[in-house]
Amino acid sequence: MNPLSLLFKKQYAVEEKVQRLLRFLEDMAHLYQAAYEAYLEGSIEEFSQRNQELGEIEKKLDELGHQIQMTLLHESLMPNSRDDLLWFLTKLDKVPSSFKHSLGDILLEKPEIPEELHSSMKNMLIHTHLAVQALAHATDSLFSDLRSVRQHVEEVSRQESEVDKIEYKLLQMVFENKKYDLAMQYQLKGILKQIGRVTNLAEDVADAVLILATKHST
Amino acid sequence: MTDPAIIIFLTGGLFLGWSLGANDAANVFGTAVGSRMVRFTTAALICGIFVILGAIISGTGTSLTLGKLGAVNALGGSFMAALAAGLTVYWMTKFGLPVSTSQAIIGSIIGWNLFSDSYTDLSSLLKILSTWVVCPLLSALIAALLFTLAKSFVRKVSIGLIRLDGYTRLALILAGAFGAYSLGANNIANVMGVFVPVAPFTDIQVGSIFRISSIQQLFLLGGLAIAVGVFTYSKRVMMTVGSELITLTPLAAWVAVMAHSIVLFLFASERLEQFLANLSLPTIPLVPVSSSQAVVGAVIGIGIVQGGRELQWQRIYSIVRGWVITPIISLLICIVGLYFLQNVFQQTVKRESQYQLSSGVLEQFRKAGINTDELDTLTGSVFFSSAEVVRAVKAVVPLSSQQGLKVVEYSLQNSLVINAEKLSAIDKHFLSTQQLEALKQLEGEKYKYSWQLGNALAQKSKEWELRGDGLKNKLKDREIKRKLAYLYRLFKEEEK
Repeated sequence: MNPLSLLFKKQYAVEEKVQRLLRFLEDMAHLYQAAYEAYLEGSIEEFSQRNQELGEIEKKLDELGHQIQMTLLHESLMPNSRDDLLWFLTKLDKVPSSFKHSLGDILLEKPEIPEELHSSMKNMLIHTHLAVQALAHATDSLFSDLRSVRQHVEEVSRQESEVDKIEYKLLQMVFENKKYDLAMQYQLKGILKQIGRVTNLAEDVADAVLILATKHST
Repeated sequence: MTDPAIIIFLTGGLFLGWSLGANDAANVFGTAVGSRMVRFTTAALICGIFVILGAIISGTGTSLTLGKLGAVNALGGSFMAALAAGLTVYWMTKFGLPVSTSQAIIGSIIGWNLFSDSYTDLSSLLKILSTWVVCPLLSALIAALLFTLAKSFVRKVSIGLIRLDGYTRLALILAGAFGAYSLGANNIANVMGVFVPVAPFTDIQVGSIFRISSIQQLFLLGGLAIAVGVFTYSKRVMMTVGSELITLTPLAAWVAVMAHSIVLFLFASERLEQFLANLSLPTIPLVPVSSSQAVVGAVIGIGIVQGGRELQWQRIYSIVRGWVITPIISLLICIVGLYFLQNVFQQTVKRESQYQLSSGVLEQFRKAGINTDELDTLTGSVFFSSAEVVRAVKAVVPLSSQQGLKVVEYSLQNSLVINAEKLSAIDKHFLSTQQLEALKQLEGEKYKYSWQLGNALAQKSKEWELRGDGLKNKLKDREIKRKLAYLYRLFKEEEK
């Protein structure tokens, strides 16, 4: 047995919990995309099921996040980085919440999404998924290999900018189409902004990851 | 040790030890505790244990250099020298200046030399003063190199935030333990060095191999005083140092502690000296250096590697000014204190010694390279202080600082009687069989000067022969001198 694993038992346990938390985040990104695509294809039942699964994972993720925070606070792990990590975990927690709110709005409003928008929206969801996946990798690197954080953070930025471009194109399509009334235009705008918000948050958190990695490796 | 006066006088050294523990422990663990990387109790425990170990195992080397500067020969004098240094360190720390016991005790010893009209060996003083410049420079250089290496290592190695933190914490604890050991080894001479010539203990033999010399017992006591200082008062200082050095990252903090510890170790380790001598490399003088200077030097070194923009030169200037003022204040306090102790409290602060030149002494002078052609006029004259005898000789022939020290050493009268009772008390393991045999052959002899015993022993056995020049010889000679010093103490004729 590696003697270091005995010496740093608590640290390794936190690392393991963070890994689990990131896998939950990736699962949520996958379910978010799947739920949205099901809605676009008219399968409300599948959408509801995916949404329910996402809610369950979010609960587990919340609980795990809470456990990590308590470990950091009560077991006086890493006093030097503890504040930084708690700040980071609070920031990271906003990403799963944004998935939940975005799908919650769909479930509540059940908007009619014109078919001509579907293809671009699916594309937007793919990039959103990729952005969150890159964020999970960046965070993973923060806890395993500080050197590779930057490349994952850059990937998050690339995906976010793709999402921005698609979002703008979709908003143009919505507001330039005279067939949609104003209420519909604003409802669609709200939905698109909700999807865009996920990647904006992912980019914010990725920036925080980069700051932490830079601060702690110099 | 029944005389309560001895205990009272030792408190001067214990106070200085406490001051050292309270202040200098912050140089070792300040950043780690201040930044909450290491708990205070953990730091204090490690610091306490390793300071004591360093003091006992490796503390003797630096005390020899201090002894050359001035051998305070009465407990009262040692008490005041240590107390003056302790008070100076305490007050300077109150004013927020990171001073060190090294600077303070040097001032005190010179103060005692001036008060007692004892000879100050300028070459030893210059050796010590030069380390005050070399120590921060060397520390800065080591820190700069170590920081560059550590940074590139961290950038190259695949590691995450939590493990990096954990490893840094472990590295800080290990560096702190090394730092505490080096601090004990290097600075114990400051705390207890002035008591070495008047050590009130006798050697203790534990089993057949283990022997605790009177000096080691003295150093154990000093180490304990340092440990008490660490536990009782260093937390506040550690927190101050930690927050003052807030711009230091954990990695930089580790580098600062390591550089400080390496420098202290370099100036304290007799084994390293021996290792270098065996390789025919130049050795590093064993001198008590300032841990505050070492840590400030290290921080400057790191600052320069980072571009030097964050360095507060004004603050550095005030710290350096403190280093210059400290020995002067300590010197003045010591002189005033000695005056009061002697004239108001009627205590002995210097032992009356007699120095006399004889034909045998002049022969010793000749061997030391001193021109004795015109010194016959001084034969038979008695002098009552070491500075007086050096002045008298110097008025006739030119003397180097080292030769001045020889004049003091050879002309000092120190009556020795080699009797059976004391011969049987000798620790059999301290001397080799041949050395002991040679000594036994001298039973019943009496000597007026210490060196006469040394010469007689050298005639009886090659193992008592001092070889002179050469690095390897220097180390062997030092060992013989240490044994001779023990014999001089043991066979000293009791004063009636």
